[in-house]
Amino acid sequence: MSLVYLNGKPVDHPHENHHHVSPVWQFTAVFAALVTLTILTYLVSYAGLGSASLPVAMAVAMVKASLVIAFFMHLFYEDRVYAFMFLSCFIFVAIFFTFVLFDMHTSAEMNEEAGIHYKRAVEDSAEQADTNRAFDAPAPAKAGH
Amino acid sequence: MSSTSAHDDEERPWFLAHHFDTVGQQVSAAKLGMWLFCCTEVLMFSGLFLAYFIIRTLYPEMVLGASEELNKTAGGVNTIVLLTSSFTMALGVRAAQTNNQKALERNLLITIACAFIFMIVKYFEYTAKIEHGLLPGNWYAAAEHGYMLPKYSRVFFGVYFTMTGLHGVHVLVGIGVLSWIFIRARRREFNSENYVAVENAGLYWHIVDLVWIFLFPLLYLVK
Repeated sequence: MSLVYLNGKPVDHPHENHHHVSPVWQFTAVFAALVTLTILTYLVSYAGLGSASLPVAMAVAMVKASLVIAFFMHLFYEDRVYAFMFLSCFIFVAIFFTFVLFDMHTSAEMNEEAGIHYKRAVEDSAEQADTNRAFDAPAPAKAGH
Repeated sequence: MSSTSAHDDEERPWFLAHHFDTVGQQVSAAKLGMWLFCCTEVLMFSGLFLAYFIIRTLYPEMVLGASEELNKTAGGVNTIVLLTSSFTMALGVRAAQTNNQKALERNLLITIACAFIFMIVKYFEYTAKIEHGLLPGNWYAAAEHGYMLPKYSRVFFGVYFTMTGLHGVHVLVGIGVLSWIFIRARRREFNSENYVAVENAGLYWHIVDLVWIFLFPLLYLVK
């Protein structure tokens, strides 16, 4: 009798299936928590937390996401291989975000040293100069005559 | 497996595909594929979320000003609608696990109905944006409609329409997938031994919900 493997682990009784069934009260509790957190973020957005609003909103969203993943998607009760796979993809998202945003925040100085200007910055300053000239031009004409 | 005797073949349930030895293998293969698909979904949307953070870094005031034009209440109602549909989807999977045919059909129907409500609210939101000229790129015409928005607001609406548009496509696909699962449920294909299709459709639907959980505060509630 050769071994039967499931998710990389040998199983003794391959024809028996065990399912974890979550109780209804757990789904209801998770749903209530999700709705409460949604209403909370909605109300807090009117209060305005200034610079703290983005981190707070993200923290609440992550709590909500964790609840959905763990209980609605049942990941908490599944074989660990699925959790390993799914959560490791967030490591790659984190690398993606960290490197790009780090570059966004630090390359301004290097661009300046190298004399590189963003097209939008050049256009914006030209537009600003035009506006200034339009405001300034009539003033000396009036003064002169 | 060594025991490929005629006796074992007789015991194969009708839903077990010929290339699997056991139901357990079939279920774990299906789940593996679905979780991998969920990973690709997360990675795909992460690019759009990064685009959002980039324009937020480049034009902080513009993003705050332009996002004021979005309807917070419509977004909030849609969040509740999607959370409700996720809840009923989870209950639907549970109903399949416990052989509750009636509850399975009912919960799938409520989930599909919530998806339609979401798209209807989205339709009214999009219509309002189009009427006010709050569109991406060259179609941006806020000034002609009497809106004084910060410069480059068209970039924000580009990100808004791309992110919510791709998410909306996922909702529409979800309506199709869930309808297919509902038809199969009506044929009584699912029971406590064979419900992985319901579970995987549920995983897809929860991913749609998951994306919206992040979209809503970032686009509608930023301050």
